[in-house]
Amino acid sequence: MSKAIEVNNISKAFGSNVILDQLNFQLNPGDKLSIVGPSGSGKTTLLRILAGLDHPSSGTIKLGEKDVTHLDARTRKVGLVFQQPLLFPHMTVEENIDYGARLTGTFSREKTSDLLTAINLTETRTQFPSELSGGQQQRVALARALATEPEILLLDEPFSSLDPGMRQELRYWVRDLLDERGITSIFVTHDREEAMLMGDTIGVFYNGGFQQLASAETILQSPANPFVVQFFDNHLLIDQDHYVPLNKISFSSQATGARVMKAVLLQTSVANGERVAHVYVEELDKRLSLRLPFPHDGGSLDIFIPANHIYSFDSSRGAGRYE
Amino acid sequence: MNLYKIKPWLLILPALLFLILPAYGLWAAFSESIKDGSDVTLTYYHQLFTSERFLSSLWFSLYTSLTATLASMIIGIFITRSFAHFLTDSLPRLSVWLPMLFPHLVFAYVIILIFSETGWLAQMLTMIGVLESPGEFPILTRDNYGIGIILAYIAKEVPFVILMLFPVYNAIPPAYYDVVKTLGGSRMEQFKTVEWPQISTVVMEIFFILFAFTLTAYEVPAILGTNFPEMVSVLSYDWFYSGSWEDRPLAFAAMVTISLLITLMAFIGYMYVNRKRMRALRGRL
Repeated sequence: MSKAIEVNNISKAFGSNVILDQLNFQLNPGDKLSIVGPSGSGKTTLLRILAGLDHPSSGTIKLGEKDVTHLDARTRKVGLVFQQPLLFPHMTVEENIDYGARLTGTFSREKTSDLLTAINLTETRTQFPSELSGGQQQRVALARALATEPEILLLDEPFSSLDPGMRQELRYWVRDLLDERGITSIFVTHDREEAMLMGDTIGVFYNGGFQQLASAETILQSPANPFVVQFFDNHLLIDQDHYVPLNKISFSSQATGARVMKAVLLQTSVANGERVAHVYVEELDKRLSLRLPFPHDGGSLDIFIPANHIYSFDSSRGAGRYE
Repeated sequence: MNLYKIKPWLLILPALLFLILPAYGLWAAFSESIKDGSDVTLTYYHQLFTSERFLSSLWFSLYTSLTATLASMIIGIFITRSFAHFLTDSLPRLSVWLPMLFPHLVFAYVIILIFSETGWLAQMLTMIGVLESPGEFPILTRDNYGIGIILAYIAKEVPFVILMLFPVYNAIPPAYYDVVKTLGGSRMEQFKTVEWPQISTVVMEIFFILFAFTLTAYEVPAILGTNFPEMVSVLSYDWFYSGSWEDRPLAFAAMVTISLLITLMAFIGYMYVNRKRMRALRGRL
């Protein structure tokens, strides 16, 4: 079976500024990839190149069997949902959804009704975008992109303009819709939690390429490099070669051979029903948030790092594997 | 009545006071155009609409100003949409808008200098051998088709069109173009879906401003126009200042007719523009 998308050695540079550097990945039909990375790392440029809005300096992109590298956006079967809904204000909800379908010759009344049902907005079909909430508008934008029957759907931080409650609700809802319809999708975000919710595979994007392309579980178990460790905050980076999972660090010695470091308690808070200590570790010049099993009224603390849980990025040199 | 209620009227008062002048002028012209001694008459209007000179002048004026207005708008829209991102810098913007500082008279004179039978263009074409003599150069000024008038108005009004349209183009989020592209839309579709709903109200306003102005302004057709047919403004001026007192009410009747025509068009346009503006901004009217 052919891949839904195959990206081979894509590079993009603006002058001497390299945005994408020999990037490779491929997705099977129905796969969901989240691309996560810091703001300004080039995620959106990658998405624009995949959509055909920008062209790569070198490399090839295949959709199914077809090489689309030199096709422009309007002739590629790629849907794109933007950060803002960008609905046409002078068109009704229904007209907005139909717009792309009519242009691409894929319009049918049944499909529009089906999409309106899928986004739970059948009642608003004759309303205008200004009469909808931000979340509803973004759902219409999603339906508009899906109405063109794209081979792959690209989503560029589509929830970033919504308030936190609406954002969380839409994340689950969109993920369910993509799963139900078996849509191949690439979701770009700078939010780590969102990346894990929206993708089965996560591409940690930085410095022109994927620092790691793996499932959330693999990234948790075996982060590829110091950048991934620091970006996800699941581990404490001890030096450029070694890290320790945060949940193995404790405030009391439970095993012999633990490495002890001095920490200053900055603040305590509560999250998920547990007390959390926010501490500063002077030796590593790092701030950490750790589960605090007992109340503490400030001052300094010792943190214990078990030696058997200090891992190396190069597993052959590692002291052990995190379980 | 509290201050809150009368405040809008206070604010609009200077504009209303200013309107007294043209309103009085229009009323005075109208009353002169229907006066025959102490009697009321429509004789002058009857004379006007049976006068071949006036009807030719009216059609010539409508054709000339409509052509100049539409050409200015098409060129202005094309330049604005092509160069909007350059116009954000002050130097290119200034260079485009600078021609607005010069009076229409200057533009009429420049058209004569360049396009008359003895103008620069005729001499240059003769010099490089395209024409044998400047006399072969086509008549483009003081011609029967109003070409000189149209050229002068285009040169003068295009910067005005750009001035009006630039802020609108500047406010269109560029991502809308990408939306249309990813939905399969061509460049024409981008214009139709993204730009036209935004600019159509301003385009309509520009049309009425330019059309009303070019239809009634005097100096350009006086310099670049021919004796027959002549623009209605030139004809009215002639009637007003001709030796015969009997022609003066005709001048008033002609101007009242044109004013009514423009007022009617502006009213219809205003109603249409308001609907379009609300539709573009909010969708529902």
